[in-house]
Amino acid sequence: MSSTSPDPVTLSRKALKVVIALNLVMGGLILGLLIASLIASSAVFKALGVAADHDNAALITGMRVIMVIGIASVPVVHLILSRLVEIFRTVTTGDPFVTENATRLRTIAWALLGLEVLHLAVGAISAGVSTAAQPLDLDWNLSLTRWLAVLPIFVLARVFDHGTRMRQDLEGTV
Amino acid sequence: MPIQVLLDDVLHARRMTLTELSERIGITLANLSVLKTGKARAVRFSTLEAICVALDCQPGDLLAFEPTDTQGSTP
Repeated sequence: MSSTSPDPVTLSRKALKVVIALNLVMGGLILGLLIASLIASSAVFKALGVAADHDNAALITGMRVIMVIGIASVPVVHLILSRLVEIFRTVTTGDPFVTENATRLRTIAWALLGLEVLHLAVGAISAGVSTAAQPLDLDWNLSLTRWLAVLPIFVLARVFDHGTRMRQDLEGTV
Repeated sequence: MPIQVLLDDVLHARRMTLTELSERIGITLANLSVLKTGKARAVRFSTLEAICVALDCQPGDLLAFEPTDTQGSTP
């Protein structure tokens, strides 16, 4: 009965590919918004609920910097997702204990750390340019869980390193 | 590697082929071939025991240590 049910790993790989495409689209949209904010400043910021006048100069600059950070996060997210797809591919081919997967996991962990730093920068900018008269509400929050979530991935990378070495030893054992 | 596998010599002395040894001890020909050509990274005691029983020999008859130049020069 369960023989016709789709493999969750294969499904996840397909879902990841969709998310990769969405990430690139999102990056394109943010880039478009940034360019539009430079070409038609008053119209864009009016649509975003900010009057593009001298009083809001710092806020507008802050919003543009946040857009740049948003664009910068796209390749970082792409790095994470593409490495995940590769790891999933090795799982489907039945050989996940390879040195490359340990390297991929380490890359993912560093990229997640990088994303958290970017997230922190967004929070700092948001707090710095917000005023009582014109607050910048980004629904930003500092999560210790996300920072801590990076650690098990570094540990997992070491586990994969060790597992790969053990498997190589086992393969050469007669 | 400084550890040399002398399985081929012992097999020759016993007039036995690798295929016959494989059938006697129940280890695949591919694995025994890996051992014979010195490509194995480790040998299980159970494998060593089975080979010693089948060939009526000691583990020392199957393995030899040939130090490399650097190992040989150390006191």
